Amino acid sequence: MTNPAVSFAHYYFQYSSGRVPALKDICLDIVPGSFTVLLGPSGAGKTTLCKSMTGILPYYQGGSYAGDVRVLGESTKGRKVSDLAMRIGFMMEDYESQLVSLTAGEEVAFALVNHGFPPGETEDRVRRALAEVGLPGRENYQLDELSGGQRQRLALASLLAVRPEVIVLDEPVSAMDPDGAESLYKLIHEIHEEHGTTFVVVEHRVEFVLPYVTDLVAVKDGRIAVAGPCGDVVPALYADPALRPLLPDLWQIRCGLEARTGQSFRLWRSVAGAVDELRERGMGPLAVRKEGNP
Amino acid sequence: MEREWNEASGTSLSPDRIPPLTKVEANQQGYRWVAITAMLYAIGIILHTVSPNVGGVTINWTIAMYCIVINLTKPPLTRAIGMGFIAGITLIPSSKSAFPLGNLASEICGATTCCLLLKALAMARLGDWKLAPLVTGFCSTFVSGGVFTFILRLILNLPLGVWLKVMLPVVAVVGVLNAVVTFGLYGPVKKLFFAREGGRTA
Repeated sequence: MTNPAVSFAHYYFQYSSGRVPALKDICLDIVPGSFTVLLGPSGAGKTTLCKSMTGILPYYQGGSYAGDVRVLGESTKGRKVSDLAMRIGFMMEDYESQLVSLTAGEEVAFALVNHGFPPGETEDRVRRALAEVGLPGRENYQLDELSGGQRQRLALASLLAVRPEVIVLDEPVSAMDPDGAESLYKLIHEIHEEHGTTFVVVEHRVEFVLPYVTDLVAVKDGRIAVAGPCGDVVPALYADPALRPLLPDLWQIRCGLEARTGQSFRLWRSVAGAVDELRERGMGPLAVRKEGNP
Repeated sequence: MEREWNEASGTSLSPDRIPPLTKVEANQQGYRWVAITAMLYAIGIILHTVSPNVGGVTINWTIAMYCIVINLTKPPLTRAIGMGFIAGITLIPSSKSAFPLGNLASEICGATTCCLLLKALAMARLGDWKLAPLVTGFCSTFVSGGVFTFILRLILNLPLGVWLKVMLPVVAVVGVLNAVVTFGLYGPVKKLFFAREGGRTA
């Protein structure tokens, strides 16, 4: 049986300055090769969950915990964050704080050099990683010569160069315009398809990841509210008035239509897909209105 | 995806019962205090070099800087003694006093005072007292200056009255200035170094 990419077993975490646990009784398996999206209101514990996956919590920033977190079958207990980073990469919401070098090439090579990769392999990995994120030949660019979007791609290249099996992205497009966000997610999807990397993404604007997401995890008040494949989770989220706003408009419309018409629809990945299915069923805009409001 | 636990096996916990939590100290503590100390000491040395001496009274930037560092990082006593020793060494080359090596003893005493005062405040549940930099800045400077001038008194064979009535009042004035500087700089420095954590986690 294949190990989960990341596995939480009755995991609790409390910040040093906190009075109550930020995460409570987390039992969760992230399916290998999945594109999992973490949803939840602000302060629900999504970032804490991400940091716990990567060992930053509690082993780097400190705190109190109970239970266990396993990455690819191995417990994170007692592991150095830098060692875990070879298997699970993490791009923080504030990705700028992860950039520590002067040039793009040095930045991507940083983890490789620190883990003793030979110079030839380091150079090769840096070149390929930069090419993968659409920054070919930018090795000698100063970081301030790159735009915000390019620096975000550079942070992603730094993860890719290590070739971790799991990549965790905490709101990777929070500071991007819609075009930039779509472009970055398209790139992430290509990497997901090509390498089979497991992606765990915290994203408020789920519409950007609609075409790619395979699994959803909803976090509420430090607990897992619901988790599983999209097809199972979306109806559960829709049924909970507190969690319904987390769903993108398209899926809310779909669930609303299912509730009103009694029909079952495919999980729409785009507006075009929704329109196509509605047309196939002879439900043009007028028909939908009629069926929805008899 | 969500793991289903077998209630019958007893492996599942009640949602409201929090098990005993294991505390883990922050691993980042081992390095950042070094960077903070080095940076503030460098600033202190520069300011010490360029600050004018008005009537024998001048702000002792080095003491102010290690007080800020000790307030920020709350080091153990041995580390605080080391910080004082290093501060003393940095003062020796630029010292114009009759006995520059006296800085070693005085700064060790100053840093030790600061550290012990903070530990006492913590024991009195005043660890987050906002005036702690002010109080420790004054006390450390007073102790450091007192020790330094007492060493000078011994070397120059000055009467005890000169030390008590002339030197110590000047030291007290410098202590007040240093207290204000320490208190004034503590907030901005803390904000600069610990903005991300929202608190002290050096």
